[in-house]
Amino acid sequence: MSIEKRMLARELKLAAARPGDIFKPMWFLMLVISMVPLALSPDSALLADIGSAMIWVATLLALLLNTEHLFQSDFSDGVLEQWLFLDRPLAWLVGLKLIVHWLFHVVPLICITPIAGLMLSVPTDVLIALLMTLVVATPALTCFSGLGAALTLGSSRSGILGVLVMMPLFVPVVILAAGVLIRATDGSEILPLIALLGAFSLVAATLVPIAVSAAIRLNIGGSN
Amino acid sequence: MIFEPVSLNISQVSCERDDRLLFQNLSFALSSGDILRVAGPNGAGKTTLLRMIAGLFEVQDGVITIDQEPLSDRRHQVLYIGHKPQVSRDLTVIDNLKFLTGFDEPIVKQALIDVGLRGYHDSLVKELSQGQGRRCALARLWCSEAPIWILDEPYTALDITMVDTLDLKINAHVAQGGLCLFTTHQPPQSLNFETLELGCVD
Repeated sequence: MSIEKRMLARELKLAAARPGDIFKPMWFLMLVISMVPLALSPDSALLADIGSAMIWVATLLALLLNTEHLFQSDFSDGVLEQWLFLDRPLAWLVGLKLIVHWLFHVVPLICITPIAGLMLSVPTDVLIALLMTLVVATPALTCFSGLGAALTLGSSRSGILGVLVMMPLFVPVVILAAGVLIRATDGSEILPLIALLGAFSLVAATLVPIAVSAAIRLNIGGSN
Repeated sequence: MIFEPVSLNISQVSCERDDRLLFQNLSFALSSGDILRVAGPNGAGKTTLLRMIAGLFEVQDGVITIDQEPLSDRRHQVLYIGHKPQVSRDLTVIDNLKFLTGFDEPIVKQALIDVGLRGYHDSLVKELSQGQGRRCALARLWCSEAPIWILDEPYTALDITMVDTLDLKINAHVAQGGLCLFTTHQPPQSLNFETLELGCVD
């Protein structure tokens, strides 16, 4: 079996063994969204105005929640250091792990956002724009939070630190996505901004695994 | 399986960690058939030395080569088992080994029988006892094609039968032209090894 197939088989089995890691962020997202009308106002015109932005932020937080420990258990079990002995560049293996993580932990989040949109009576065209921004922006967000997770591997209880370190990289993605949502509400052209977000994700998916692998090596070198 | 002759050269390696000098100008060479036990008191740098040779800890001073080539090019010839569990708790014994070794089910199952884990292949690692978990990690030695074995405290948590089984396996490995480095505080009786004593730096 090739190393890639072995990696994929392992990630699938790990995802199946830890269903909570998939469902907890989904619960979190639905919980935040269902609290908004209670805390703010049940006025559907108001909710429709701010709903898409609320969903975007809640999805971002849910994503951070399930990515902050991306490499933690492999690191503390000592399996991560065994990756270095496989006959493949570490950055390539990290890239595979990030892709699988996005498929199994982030795509389910995106899939339930239409329900969240209905709960906040977000108009259909804005909802479609919201889904498009999430699909093209979350690969970049996953990469950045994975980098935060890798940088802080060595320190215990590091979750929030990794998020803080990566905050400056999240900001441009959030601003671009907000731009898309505002334009969608106005009914103006959104594709240029979506393309820009997609470019952001592509660059992140190409470069971040290299940075993550450097961070992992650094932390493995400092541990016993 | 007989390995190609392999040589491991450590020359003038020094290590300082957290402002403490662990060892200085350490030089030795190992070749096919050698077994080296790295000994020394706790904190003498045994694990650090093994991790350096395995390429997991950066060599700050000195050179380590395998067959005159830098370590990073020959990594797949090294099998390193550290004192972390080396296996994922949430996966079954067999899935862990299939991932780590790349071998198919029959070979991995045979390795599990050899280490006394017959009937445990579908158990999750977190359901095993400490010693069984260790056996699971060591089962990789039974399906390894790497000539250089680096074992950090391989005897920890093992019962007497398994200690003997492991000694036999190490002997068989070096007889095939492999080489083995390990650390332990209880020198094994049935192995013919050299000892490198660390912790003599003032």
